[in-house]
Amino acid sequence: MRPTKLGSAGIRGVIGAGLTPENAIDFACAFGTFTNGGKIIVALDTRFSSEMLHQAVVSGLQSCGCEVHDLGIAPATLLSFAIPKLKADGALLIGGGHQRASWNSIVPWGANGAYLNSIQLRELFDIYYGRRFLTCRWDEIKKIIPVPESIQEQYFDALCKSVDTKAIAAANFTVINDFCNGSGSALEKQFASRFGLNSISINNILSGILPHNPEPRPHSAFQVQSLIKPLKSDVGFVFNSDMSRVSLVSDSGETLSEECTFPLGVDYLLSKAGKDGLRVISNICTSKTLDDVVARHNGILEKYTTGQSNIIDYMKESNAFISGEGSGSFTSNDWLPSFDAFYVSAVILEAMAVKQKTLSELVAELPRYHIVKKTITSSSMNAYNRIRALKNNFKDAKISEIDGLRLDWNDGWVSLRASSTEQLIRLISESKDKEIAEDRVLKIHALLENSI
Amino acid sequence: MNKILHTLKFSEAGVRGIVGDSLTPQLTASLASTFGRYTGSGRVIVARDTRSSGKMLEQAVIAGLLAVGCQPLILGIVPTPTVQLMVTHYKANGGIVITASHNPVEWNALKFIGPQGIFLDIRESMELFDIFTQGNLDYCPENDFKELRYETNAFELHMQRIFKEIDIESIRARKFKVALDCCNGVGALYSKHFLEELGCKVVSIYDKPNGIFERPPEPLAKNLTKLSETVKKHNCAIGFAHDPDGDRMTLVDNNGQAMNPQSTISLTVEHVLYEDPGPVVVNIQTSRAVEDIAKSYGCEVFYSKVGEINVVNMMMDKDSEIGGEGNCGGVIWRRLHPGRDSYVAMALMLEMLALNNESMSDICASIPKYFTISDKFPCSTFRAREIIHEFNKRYKNYECITFDGLRINLPDGWVLIRGSNTEPVLRLTVEAKKQQDAKKLLHDFSEEIKKIKI
Repeated sequence: MRPTKLGSAGIRGVIGAGLTPENAIDFACAFGTFTNGGKIIVALDTRFSSEMLHQAVVSGLQSCGCEVHDLGIAPATLLSFAIPKLKADGALLIGGGHQRASWNSIVPWGANGAYLNSIQLRELFDIYYGRRFLTCRWDEIKKIIPVPESIQEQYFDALCKSVDTKAIAAANFTVINDFCNGSGSALEKQFASRFGLNSISINNILSGILPHNPEPRPHSAFQVQSLIKPLKSDVGFVFNSDMSRVSLVSDSGETLSEECTFPLGVDYLLSKAGKDGLRVISNICTSKTLDDVVARHNGILEKYTTGQSNIIDYMKESNAFISGEGSGSFTSNDWLPSFDAFYVSAVILEAMAVKQKTLSELVAELPRYHIVKKTITSSSMNAYNRIRALKNNFKDAKISEIDGLRLDWNDGWVSLRASSTEQLIRLISESKDKEIAEDRVLKIHALLENSI
Repeated sequence: MNKILHTLKFSEAGVRGIVGDSLTPQLTASLASTFGRYTGSGRVIVARDTRSSGKMLEQAVIAGLLAVGCQPLILGIVPTPTVQLMVTHYKANGGIVITASHNPVEWNALKFIGPQGIFLDIRESMELFDIFTQGNLDYCPENDFKELRYETNAFELHMQRIFKEIDIESIRARKFKVALDCCNGVGALYSKHFLEELGCKVVSIYDKPNGIFERPPEPLAKNLTKLSETVKKHNCAIGFAHDPDGDRMTLVDNNGQAMNPQSTISLTVEHVLYEDPGPVVVNIQTSRAVEDIAKSYGCEVFYSKVGEINVVNMMMDKDSEIGGEGNCGGVIWRRLHPGRDSYVAMALMLEMLALNNESMSDICASIPKYFTISDKFPCSTFRAREIIHEFNKRYKNYECITFDGLRINLPDGWVLIRGSNTEPVLRLTVEAKKQQDAKKLLHDFSEEIKKIKI
């Protein structure tokens, strides 16, 4: 099987072996056909292969008669903001996001500035599989229009309005940003100046070289962590390369689990809203910390299918207060319909500024659990069956199959899912007791290995 | 018949098709990847003409090249001969030009240049297409990707190389007034500057580089009415007409008389042999005037198949310095580079004019006069071959050249019937000393072709 995946985040694959110029053009043509030759924004990140995919995608879109607006190297957040602003019919984002080097992807976005929802995706994929695309004549090919740089100003104007910018600026924070050499570093200076930050950035050259695993996890945060104390910093932000997720390093130098990001934000935003019964949307594999925090503010937590597009789409559809995932991101209903790590960072800074507490003090207020995440390589062909087969081994647990397999015990839970973006099984185990969480991972891993 | 199959044309002249129909970005990217691998995943020069589909296809080419580990060096919109020069200048592994040359505006094409700066010949093209057909391209992993490079000064390098080889001082001293027809092609970006550097005062027409051709793109005499008028109106010493990608050129004399493209090669051969006698190579669709001129200098003429690469290969073989393709006004002067080059042709013509002290019409009158006319008939490649076979049988008692279609040599002229490499048509070209004889030949053979039932 070729390592290519079609999923909620578009087409993904290993460059060369799975994702080639031809299927990139096919995918772009499918999107051009899906939008009926509309006005499409294109952006890319800094991976080595992104320029190749960018050229392929623009060519494909032009061949469908699309008017292509080129945003150049830009993070997902800026793209999400630009789509409704430019009244575009959609966008394609080229970039590896949190994925390992050698992978890349093309992500389709709708006119509302969000990922396509599952119904739109199904239509797009049908066109892609059918490979009969809209074409235009030589004299109907439209020119490529660069998106004016002023879009960055407009984005930060909007961001500054959505949080308490004054309070943040007054606090005079020192922060360390790790951009993983991704497109976020293009906006670093604006971010710092708008919020009055003394900002120190690392891994901020626009390059395809990945300085560490691009997933914001504690083990990706060592470079930031080693600088926190010497530079007397208030917080460290470890971003993924498309600025959709962030994990935090506290002032005491603790590399926080990415699972802390969402509960910290929810804790602050619910208390700021000061109302009971606000609805919070998350997925089935997010830490129990979130359950506890939402309960503390008398909110309602609803768990939905994993994936940015599912969660946000559900929040918008049901008009909930906020949505987010344990992977390190969230967005509220009055901000962009996409995960935006700048917004998340601003909310965390606001929480620190308004509550006048250090990050380590804020974290101390969270109920903490031990969470163990493991990925097990498995081709998608086998992954679904391997997960399903496990069910019978856990008669003592409460079982849910909303999304993969979730097992609940009184003292913790385990979630098993076939990744929608990679050829992996994602295994998450959480418990108050570190040993229980780890034991369950070992046991399940062994069962999975034996099931081949 | 399926229209898509019908408009796509793989040949040694490259891969041509109609945009929005048969020539898609997908096909373009795979061809570029194949070419990139075929030439060893090195540096590949990429350029295009002004056609509106150029940018779209250029991006597909770049994506295809990057994906197999090539480093595309992008020249943007430049004349085709500039690309050939740049391939050797940068010691690149090859080049891809996105141009359908003289084809109508809805067409576009990829033309492949090898490491010597000359187009792939038939054997190399077939190897390339064989690899393409087999599919299973070996794409490279992400960490082998190279960065794009740009060269925005390519034409300047090309121009300086030409200036080194001609007597620019004599040309500049004459301060010629020149009319220029750019056909909305690459010439619109460079030719005025080129001629001004030679001290000319330039009146240009169709000089927007937008690829929307305001006249039919072939520089045939019948398409040059406006250039003729411009020459007359502004009292120009000479008029030059380009094709869209700047490899071919047709002349208008100082009286506003548009010449047959055949004159371009006859005149340049006359000029070059005067200084530097030697063997001449032309394709079989070239006027006998070249043979007459060469004879007067005691030089030999060799005939090749139609197609730039065929002329070039034979020029190498026969160690010939000057040659070209009469039917399309393509001049090849190997001293500069082995490829058709309208800038070389313009420079040589101006040099001839500057050194001769005669008007353009007098110079034209001094070369042997022939009338060359042609016609074309829509026809599949297969049917074209069958028709040619039939003619072969019927005219076996005449002196014939049969290596590319059929050329029947007559005492005072010739008839050529061949299938086009670039369009699904059968071409008929005839030449005679007298205009009415040429017309009669064309009429008679047209009727004969139409009557053949195959």
